[in-house]
Amino acid sequence: MVDFSIQPSQLFPASIPIPTLTLHLPFMVSAPKSSSTQSFHRTVLSNGLVVLVLENDTADIVASRIFVRAGSRYETPEQAGVCHLLMSLLPKGSERLSAVQIAEQVESMGASMGADSATDYSLVSLKSISQDFPEILTLAAELLRSPAFAESEVALERRLTLQGIRSMKEQPFSIAQRQLRQALYGDHPYALSTLGTEETVPNLDPAMLHQFHRTYFRPDNLVISIVGRITPERAIALVEETFGDWQPPQIEGERLPLPALTGSVATSQPQRVSAVQETQQAIVMLGYLAAALHSEDYAPLKLINTYLGNGLSSRLFVELREKLGLAYEVSAFYPTRIDTSQFVAYMGTAPTNAAIALKGLQHEVDRLATMPLSQNDLQASKNKFLGQYALGKQTNAQLAQVYGWYEILGVGADFDASFQAAIANVTAETIQDVAQRYFTQPYISIVGPQPAVEAVEQLN
Amino acid sequence: MNTHSLSTLPDAVQFPAHICTLSNGLTVIHQQTPTPVVTVDVWVKAGAIAEPDLWGGMAHFLEHMIFKGTDQVPPGYFDQVIENHGGVTNAATSHDYAHFFINTTAGYLPKTLPCLADLLLHAAIPDDEFDRERDVVLEEIRQSEDDPDYLGFKALSELVYQRHPYGRPVLGEPENLMSLLPYEMRSFHQTLYQPDNMTVVVVGDIEQQRTLDQVNEAFDGFATSPGYPAVSVEAEPAIAGIRRRVLELPRLETARLMMAWVGPGVEQLRHAYGLDVLSVVLGGSRSSRLVRELREERQLVHDICCNVSLQRDSSLFTISALLDPEHLDQVEALVGDRLTHLVNRPIEESELNRVKRMLCNDYAFSSETSSQLAGLYGYYSAIATPQVAVCYPQHIQGLHPEELQHLASQYLSPYHYAVTILKPASLA
Repeated sequence: MVDFSIQPSQLFPASIPIPTLTLHLPFMVSAPKSSSTQSFHRTVLSNGLVVLVLENDTADIVASRIFVRAGSRYETPEQAGVCHLLMSLLPKGSERLSAVQIAEQVESMGASMGADSATDYSLVSLKSISQDFPEILTLAAELLRSPAFAESEVALERRLTLQGIRSMKEQPFSIAQRQLRQALYGDHPYALSTLGTEETVPNLDPAMLHQFHRTYFRPDNLVISIVGRITPERAIALVEETFGDWQPPQIEGERLPLPALTGSVATSQPQRVSAVQETQQAIVMLGYLAAALHSEDYAPLKLINTYLGNGLSSRLFVELREKLGLAYEVSAFYPTRIDTSQFVAYMGTAPTNAAIALKGLQHEVDRLATMPLSQNDLQASKNKFLGQYALGKQTNAQLAQVYGWYEILGVGADFDASFQAAIANVTAETIQDVAQRYFTQPYISIVGPQPAVEAVEQLN
Repeated sequence: MNTHSLSTLPDAVQFPAHICTLSNGLTVIHQQTPTPVVTVDVWVKAGAIAEPDLWGGMAHFLEHMIFKGTDQVPPGYFDQVIENHGGVTNAATSHDYAHFFINTTAGYLPKTLPCLADLLLHAAIPDDEFDRERDVVLEEIRQSEDDPDYLGFKALSELVYQRHPYGRPVLGEPENLMSLLPYEMRSFHQTLYQPDNMTVVVVGDIEQQRTLDQVNEAFDGFATSPGYPAVSVEAEPAIAGIRRRVLELPRLETARLMMAWVGPGVEQLRHAYGLDVLSVVLGGSRSSRLVRELREERQLVHDICCNVSLQRDSSLFTISALLDPEHLDQVEALVGDRLTHLVNRPIEESELNRVKRMLCNDYAFSSETSSQLAGLYGYYSAIATPQVAVCYPQHIQGLHPEELQHLASQYLSPYHYAVTILKPASLA
């Protein structure tokens, strides 16, 4: 489709892509039935596959997300990147269909099909008009169940992945993030990009791909969420037809259990990491290990992230951009993770301002531990969080994403409601307590010209 | 070939929203949809092409300054009101327009809409805020210049548009920004942020009369236009020959080949949409010609894509590839050859139908939310008329192979184009 514009420049940069979260105090009062958890149908097929369906006949569209509980978290250090490579190969051939046939079939329907992998899960995304949904779902089932991993396609995708890893070195933000992640996580798989590394990717071969696929791609390790103009009965019947006869691997008449993960646990050893690059801007990051999704500290940390880093009225934006003019992009992120997550505050600034930028970020983070948030700030952050959470659940695809995502992460689709309640119940005391426990000694990451790096290293 | 997706589109294209011109000349577009989210999106014909030569970067800098308050609204107040009630706001500037939007609920509109209107109509542009926000814009430029694709595209635009202001970067150049003065910005603002230059789009669960009443009340009391010297935009002559620029960049991991052709503006929308079809045939999907041949089969590029950006005065057709430097010449030559092929042979029915279906479904898929619809109406309102926003599928369906061949020969010459090449400095 015709682009709306040539590179419009925005007042405020889009935040880094992290799965969206939300609750809806103000919004959902008048929400249509499609936004309510009650009408989400949850079914478990006899082979263990979980199906979530929400009927929404507003538009002639069906969106679906097929989640697999497999991501870089499930990889050994030697096979880093195997899951990403596997997902990139799904549209590149099945036992029956070639890459060209698959692309033509999807495009002839005018449908979209994407395959992606993250740290904690992998995902096939589908969107089509309602009438074509059975065909696109059937195709997705074939790709997920019987991928070919042909040597030539593996070689091509491996090369493109290596290229992708190298491309990230062109972006100062990516370099800063990568070195911070490595410092935070040590031997834990979260230390590495989901793409893998320049050392591991060349060694990934069809045998490793088949092995990973056999281990993790099984019906009882899948969640399929379907939202749009389709009845739950029809949707469930379709999944039954396309995935119902797929059986989990058996051993002596029992389901083979999934392998236990033996990976290391991240432990805090704060340090400074830096990279000298002749960039226009220095990137400064302050990072901490932070609570996993299952922790009771998850909701308060999400709220802190909103208070500090979300939007034009956020604390970092107002104090460091509006009042001091230090940055265009200044924000924070706290991704949702099954294992120990990270909390990062960062900005890009003129190299001469690198030290003052770091002090500014540090001051704002420390302030949360030393004084409680005012009731006004707390309520405003809750409203902001819950409102934006609701805005993140407007399209069929967004709804399919949020509910399926909670299911695959192990908290269940009901988490949507309980999480919003937890946010609403966070107190100023909890925020301060959480800040005191997590925001102790920071990890620091800097990328920029030599003088900027030195200025930061000389800070106490 | 299956074409049932079209059943979702009206046969005779009917504009689904209500368009109204207020007594002061302001255009209001309203559509009631069942979504609880209400989007207000204000489009102003005040993009970079409205800047006098010495004021490069003014339009975008002003877009930042709009949020710095009025005599009634202190800086930052509006952001707080919107966000503290769970809404979001942002703004963007391009060559043809600047636009400002809020996503909120109908219940909060009486509180937020007057505030947005006050900012747009009566921005104070205080001197001290001006200096501070200029630092922010300078940071935005620095950040962009650390992105090789931004640098490549900026060089390509300059190469293509040597007279028309589309060649000028929206962000401006630091030297220019340093010489701008607050009173100049006030005059730019008061001249351009006038009712006949502005469209207010409201989409969501709110009735028409209520919308009009609220907009009428909020968008009142426009400043008198000081009318700074009018800008005349010079038409860009066709590119003769090949305009080439090579940038050698440090920290570059892979080379880029960025080629561009000038297409028609909104006066020949059908032609522009024809180019859209051609861009997908060449490089808009996995099975498109250049992706399949150059990326999958011959493996000469890491990625290649083709794009059409529709602008008021002329659209830009681009083909960009990510590749190893040793393949630059060969890929550029192959692209030229494949363009010739488009001119010489009609596109097969099955290939064309596939592309049309993709484009029409994409169009339908991008009108799910209130903000998508508001953006669509506002964008076409800023560069053409709002009504044409819904004609896209009909135009696309009507294109036939001979016409596309003709368009390829008219606009996509392998002998007349602009090309920017980015190479790692170490290899230069």
